[in-house]
Order: sequence, then C-alpha cells, then structure tokens
Amino acid sequence: MEEPRYYDIRHVCGVSTHIDIENGKIDSAGSSFSDSAILRVLGRKGWGIVTIENFSSRTKKEINGFISEAMRFASVTEEEIVLGDAPSGMLKVPKIDGNPVDISLEEKCSLLQSIEAAARIDGIISTRAGYSEGSSTVCFTDSCGNEYSYPVCRSGYGINAIAGRNGDMQAARESERTIAGLNMYHKEHKGLEAAERALKLLDAAPAKGGKMNAVLDQELAGVFAHEAVGHASEGDLVKEGISVLKGRIGERIGDSSLSVVDDPTLHEFGFMPLDAEGVMPKRTEIIKSGVLNAYLHNRQTLALIGDGDAGHARAESDAVPQVRMSNTYIENGDSSYDEIIAECRSGVLLKGSRGGQVDPGRGVFQFNAEYGYVIENGELAGMIRDVSLSGDILQTMHNIVLCGDDLRLNQGYCGKGGQSVPVTDGSPHILLKNAVVGGQGV
Amino acid sequence: MCDFDSDSIIDDIIRKGQKIADEVEVVYGTGKFIHASLKGDEIGEAGGSESWVFGIRIIDGGRIGSSTTNNPLKWEECLDAAKAGSKFADAQEWGGLPDASGTTGTPESRFDENLVLDSAYLTANIKELLNGASEYNVDVAGGGASASSSFYKLTNSNGLVYESVRTRTGASLETISGTSTGYESDSSCFADRIDPYDIGKKAAYLAAHSVDAGEIDSGSYDVILSPIAAAQLIGGIVVPALSGKNVKAGRSYFAGKLGEKWLDGSFSLRDDPFHGQGSKARDAEGVPARVLDLIKDGVVNTFCYDLKTAYKYGEQSTGSAVRSDGSPSIGFHNLYFEGDRQVIFDEKALYIHDVIGAHTANGITGDFSVETSNATWREGGNDGDAVRAAMLSGNIFEMLKSIAGVSKESRELGNVIMPSVRFNNIRVVGK
Repeated sequence: MEEPRYYDIRHVCGVSTHIDIENGKIDSAGSSFSDSAILRVLGRKGWGIVTIENFSSRTKKEINGFISEAMRFASVTEEEIVLGDAPSGMLKVPKIDGNPVDISLEEKCSLLQSIEAAARIDGIISTRAGYSEGSSTVCFTDSCGNEYSYPVCRSGYGINAIAGRNGDMQAARESERTIAGLNMYHKEHKGLEAAERALKLLDAAPAKGGKMNAVLDQELAGVFAHEAVGHASEGDLVKEGISVLKGRIGERIGDSSLSVVDDPTLHEFGFMPLDAEGVMPKRTEIIKSGVLNAYLHNRQTLALIGDGDAGHARAESDAVPQVRMSNTYIENGDSSYDEIIAECRSGVLLKGSRGGQVDPGRGVFQFNAEYGYVIENGELAGMIRDVSLSGDILQTMHNIVLCGDDLRLNQGYCGKGGQSVPVTDGSPHILLKNAVVGGQGV
Repeated sequence: MCDFDSDSIIDDIIRKGQKIADEVEVVYGTGKFIHASLKGDEIGEAGGSESWVFGIRIIDGGRIGSSTTNNPLKWEECLDAAKAGSKFADAQEWGGLPDASGTTGTPESRFDENLVLDSAYLTANIKELLNGASEYNVDVAGGGASASSSFYKLTNSNGLVYESVRTRTGASLETISGTSTGYESDSSCFADRIDPYDIGKKAAYLAAHSVDAGEIDSGSYDVILSPIAAAQLIGGIVVPALSGKNVKAGRSYFAGKLGEKWLDGSFSLRDDPFHGQGSKARDAEGVPARVLDLIKDGVVNTFCYDLKTAYKYGEQSTGSAVRSDGSPSIGFHNLYFEGDRQVIFDEKALYIHDVIGAHTANGITGDFSVETSNATWREGGNDGDAVRAAMLSGNIFEMLKSIAGVSKESRELGNVIMPSVRFNNIRVVGK
C-alpha cells in the first residue's frame, strides 16, 4: 500500500474535574477521564484523518492499521497540500505553584463555597458558582522523528449573581482562569463584586442605539482584538478567501498607535509549549504601528500564503488542528484613562464582555458589553445595560484614535469550526470614534 | 476495532455499583462518523472515527455522583470517581430511578438502513453541493459532508434497559463574492431527506444576492426572522427560561408566570419526543418521554424537569432529561414553534436570514442586540434590495407578546422545527 508523505499523532490523556454550587448547595462535583488521539496522514494530495479512542492501550500493529485507514480517507482528497518549513521544538513548561491536581476536592469545594457565599447579599435572588479543571498529558510524534510530551493543567472558577426587585432581574458574572495553579484562594471579593454589580444593573437604563464615540475597557477591547483582528488574520481564512485582511500585508489599516500581537509563548491561559503540529510557537506581530504585518499560520498556510509565522495550529484533544489565536492583545499606547474619557467628550464607556462573533469574509463583527456608562462632557454619567457594538472591521480600525497605557489580559474560550480552545484577550482602554452602538433604549 | 464486551462491562458496573450505592445508572454510547471537508472548492481532508463512552451515575443517600470514561479498561476508576463525587454533593430528596414500566408513545425511526458510511457517499454529496453553487457567480470558500451511525444503551439498577440507534447525515457550503458571504447547511437522519444540490444553490444565492447591498437608516421596521434567525434567538433565550431548574433557582423570566397568558395568543411551543430528529421513547434518565405543551396559546403551560430537579423541588419529571457530556441535564427532544400561519411575505419587511452574536443576549431579561447577516427587503413574496449591515435590538419576550404572523411552512433545523416569524416595529440601527 502507498506510504504517507507525512504523518503525525497527537495523543491527549487526562482527567477533568468540576464543581457546581447553586444557591448555597453543592449541586455536583466529580471527575471524568479521557484518552484519545488524532492521527493525520498526508496522502498523495490531502489529509486523511482518524480519531483513535483509548489510545494508551493501542499496539504498534493497531496504529499501523489506523495509518492505512487514514490513507484510504486521504485517497479521496483533491487539494494538493505542501507543508512549509517551520522549526519543530518545544518551549519550557513553567512550573506550577499549587498544582490543582494535588489539592483535594474537599478543599476546592470549600474555596468555591466561600466565593459563592460572598455573593449572597441582600437583593440577590440566585447564585451559581462553578469550578472546572482539566489536567492532561499531551504527546506528539511525527514521521520526521519528532517526539514531545508535556503536562498541562488549566483551571478556573466563575460566579454568577442575579439580583431581583419587583419582578425585574439583572445578572452579573466574574470569572478567572489560569495555567499557574489553583486561583480560588482569597477570592471572596469576586463573589461580592458580581453581586454588587447585579444590584446596580437593576437601576441602569437600557442603552440608546446609534452612532457615537465609545471607550472600550480592557476586556471588551480585548474581545475586539480577538474577534475583529485575530480571526481575520488566521491563515486558513486568508487562504480560503474569507478574510477582509487578505492581500493587505504592508497596508496601513489603522492609526500608528495601534499594534496587535498574538503570543502563544506568554505564560497565560492560551499558552502552548508547542503547537498541534509540533512547531515551536512564536510571538507574531499582526499589526505593527497601524500597518498589517503578519498572518497567523499552520505549516500548510505558511507555504501557500507566507507573510507570517507558523506555530499557531491548535486543536481540542481529538480534533483536527486549525489555525487559532492563543494570547491576543492590543499593545499599550501612551494615553491615560482620564485622557481617553476626556477626549471622548460625549459617548459611552463599555465595560466587560458577554462575548462576540465575527464574519471575517464580510468584515463584520458584533460583541456585547456587560454594562457601561454614558459619557457627558468628558465625564462618566449614568450606568447603562445591554449595550452592544458592531461594525466593519477595516473602518473600525481607522476609527481607533487613542490607545491607553493600562493593558490588562482576560481569559476565555474561543470557538471555531466546532472546536473550543483556551485563549487570553487583552488591551488597554481604547477610544473608538463613530462606533455603531446597539441598544433598545430610546 | 472495538474489542471489548460492553454488555459485560455494564453488568459489572451495575453489580459492583450496587455494593457501594443505593442506585446505579450506566449509559453506554458508541458510534462511527465519517466526514470530508472542502478547502476552497477542493476536498482538503477526509476522515473518520469510531468512538465510545461509558457514563456512570450513582445515588447514595440522596447524594448524586457521576463520571465518564472512554477507556473501557478504566470503568472501575470511573465508578470510584462517581462515588467520590457523591460524597461532596449535598444530599437531596430522591425518589428513585425509573423502572421498565410502559412508555407513552412510539417514536418515529431515526435509523436509515440505506445510509452507507463510505467516502464515495460523501464525495457524491460534495459534488452536488458544488453543482448547486455553480448556478451563481460566486466562489466556494468551504463546506463539506458527513455521515454517522450511533448506538445508545441506558441501563439502571431498577431493571431498566433502553436502547436506541440513529443515523445522521449532513452537508454545508460557505460561499463568497467580494465581501458578500453566504452559508447554508442541512442535516437529517435519512439520506434522502437532504438535497446537497439545493444547499449549494442556496448558499451561492445568499452571497450573490448580497453583493452591492445597500445601507439602511436607523429606525423602526417590520422585520421577518428566518427560521435560522428565529431559532437562534428563541432557542438561546426562551428555551432556557422554560427549564424547571432555572425557574426554581430564580433565574428565569417565566418564574411565577405559570398558567398566565404572557405571550401572543397565537404562540405555542411544543416538545414532541415522537416526531423529529430527536425522537425517543424515553429521556436520558429512562423516564418515558411525552408531548409537552410548554407554551399553549400564549400561556406558560408547563416547565421542563429531569428527575434530580423534580425530586429536589417536589415536582414530577416531565421526561425532559438530555445528555451531552455524561451527566443528565434539562432540555427538549423536538421543539415545534407554532403561531398564526399566514402569508407573511407580501407586505414589505426586512427579512433577516441569520444573525451574528445571538449568544451574547441577556438570557435573564431577554434583551438582545445582534448584527444581521444576509438581510434583504422582501415584498410580494420576492426578495428586493439586500441590506449590507444592520443591528437588530429588542427584547425577545416583549416581541413574542405581539407576533404579526408566521409562515405557512416550517423548516427542520436539527431538532428545532421553526417557521419564519414576522414582527412589526422593531428597532434597527443602520451604519
């Protein structure tokens, strides 16, 4: 039978743990186990893929059988795939202080209970707290002789509080995720913050929609960097012609104060010591001083498109690698927060994020803030709720006129092609002129 | 290459589990899946998988613990983990797992014995997708075809054994012309119920029609949500509000509104477990599934309960347990949206094919603000000028108090069966 031009196997074996607390009661707690691998072979033209359950127990003979099966799948492909040269290698994995795996479920339950209890204050009618932890060993091997293995443990908590008054309800949420060890110690204030904000939202006015100046806080501006810039710079979307950033390398697409980076080497929630193709990850400057500088690539899109770096392939444990972001952020500018609010003069300050979505081919994005404030005469006025932002990516980039000096990172998950991977987004405060703000207030 | 005896493992789990807990439940699922994916207009990858999972739940003194594994050799570790988890859960009222007593109806088959899981079937469907797309002058950006078959077995220590089989096939296509994009997909349990040519043609039409789209001024307009757009907003906001768990925990808009007419008198929402892609005789805990009139003629008629929530709050399970990751949760089987069926495309309205950002809506209050995709003016039953970009804002519960009408035809979107829905005077923000 025909031999593959190349193959690789990515095996992930691990344990996931969760705790759910609802209105003071532990609703559920426990662990589950997974052990699976994804095998890719490069046939005469394209990829053949086989997912292998219970990989740890597989014999060499069985694995050869899976390679043959994958080659049969590859035989129906038409796209002639060439892999670009990219240095294989693995970064050092940082040591974890207080590995969650070594801490008892009892202690984790107790810590989460403290955070949840702090949110149960007068006026709060419902609380819900959750802890999740995924601890696994990732092993990568390929037909070039590369072999790598590393442990990873991602964990985090979230607390939701719902305030109620005379039939009205409003919700607020706080969450933190990390790769640096258990992060639930002394976090009762996060429960209280969620509760107090939910209570304040009961008195907040619905946002008025329309075109206006908008200041985005670090979290929401981070979502903008991720949704509007990051996705459009992914090499697979550029290759398939569904990115408005296609063909614009070297073009000025934003103010000279704007630089956007994706850095998988940062020891943040999106960190990876090697990418899902065994390539050594590297920091990529997507936008440098307002000019589109580089795309994010896997080996295939690097070979086809160029103008960027491989090392950005990521995947869920038993899924096909895709070009993905990791830790994406707008770099610090030189404006202070006070200067940005004053320069806005009239508009809105948008804070927090309920998530976002982008159509990179059309160049349109949408995301929703958790809450905000009206800005009048360069000062904060009343609180507003249910406020969103949408716009045209390229037009909006030119409308970012000030970048703050207070970069902050936030953790989350990003969905693409049916897969969800851990990411960090970040930014300083930014000022956006003529933003399209959505809300149902009149 | 599935070389273990699942029945023997299930028996062992039940036997050993009964020694450490009052009750034991085992879910075993296995399936085969194949796919082929377009990269541009060429097949770039094709693959397959055979998977299985064991899910164990134990109940001991009202404390519930659960665990899953895809390694059959680790079932004892999985059972121990379920037991360990149960020690930390707070004890609750518990009235027992269901036995094998009778069901309330016969679900329609979800198994197509003619669906053959081979690559030739997928490549034939992809060829038809591309043929359909060639009717318009657009580029194909991606898409693909898939097929699967699965087997599911639920066993518990009260003597219940429930098995079901299912096949599924799907196809999708993504197109672009300039910066105008189009996407269509369809899926079914039966191969002869999807039409890849039609999927490709519709995806291409969407991109072609939105080329040279115009702007819209901010204001209030009559709006028609396509089945896709309506399913996103209603499925994401209204359905969770009907979960008994959310109602009892005080985080549902419908809390305290049972039996009251809160919505448009023509509006009904029904879960029918016997007709549709989610058909089954028993829910994910083995409770006989039954037809639920969740909202009937605008009245909030019933909430959905699984066993855990029902026992906890002194209610009856409505057979609404579903499973996605091992542990049961509250959901629905086949959701039917009903309203005043009429011709809704004659009078001019903004027809919205899809929305971006439905998941960012406020699930507690129902407030949302989303960007539209492939919006177009529609009048006299025909598409007029396309609208390039518009933001749609409102409150879905308030909108459902005044529905201008729903289309005569519904579309099956997985296990949601949804018509187009017309609303008048909805806030739209232009660019």
